[in-house]
Amino acid sequence: MKVRRKQSVLRVDLLPSESALLGEIFDDLSELLAAPEEGDPVVQRLYPDGYTDDDAASAEYRELVAADLKAERSARVQACRAELPPLGGRFELDDEAADRWIRVINDVRLAVGTRLGVSETEELDPESESTALYHWLTGVQEMLVMHLMA
Amino acid sequence: MPVREPEVAEQVDEQADEQLDPDRPWVTVVWNDPVNLMSYVTHVFMKVFGYPKEKATALMLDVHQKGKAIVSSGPRERMEGDTATLHGYGLWATVQRDS
Repeated sequence: MKVRRKQSVLRVDLLPSESALLGEIFDDLSELLAAPEEGDPVVQRLYPDGYTDDDAASAEYRELVAADLKAERSARVQACRAELPPLGGRFELDDEAADRWIRVINDVRLAVGTRLGVSETEELDPESESTALYHWLTGVQEMLVMHLMA
Repeated sequence: MPVREPEVAEQVDEQADEQLDPDRPWVTVVWNDPVNLMSYVTHVFMKVFGYPKEKATALMLDVHQKGKAIVSSGPRERMEGDTATLHGYGLWATVQRDS
């Protein structure tokens, strides 16, 4: 993956394999968002409590915002899915689209990172495919954020 | 009667009003987590709150180094709105009374 800023847009170049991988990842996230399982740590991480010390207020907060958060998350990943060139190649993102992309990539990192048990202190299993995916997504996100902020 | 006394009284009243205002003492707190990137968190603070890069970076470093930072303050409803927006960005945010 290559990212360059071209005036007001980010120009992204993807290899066919990268497009295929992102397509799978986006589909997995869509599926997870469409049918969240109660008690799934990933779902809990994507939709945290609004209060640390007040269960009633957290429940009210959830009532108020959960449906919108879920609908917006799903819409974002679907929009990215639609922009993804299926066989790799070049596409351009304006700042709003780039912001949406880094949010979706972040959601995926939260999901993969939660499943891996990422922590500040412990190293990830270097042999695991999920670890490789997580590090790749970290690189992708870092690159997009840097160019977006530049 | 001293001429300046009413001015002093006014100042005291203003302070008391601020403390009693039920719409003031709420804050949005962002907590450290091991996944969100420092650059991403800075971007989110700039984008969501319109903070300049310096302020956004300082807040991000507080989250990273101290474990949390107050990123906005105001009426409770607005803090819930800010928290929801941050949840939409995948940040770990909560609402609480300003201590």
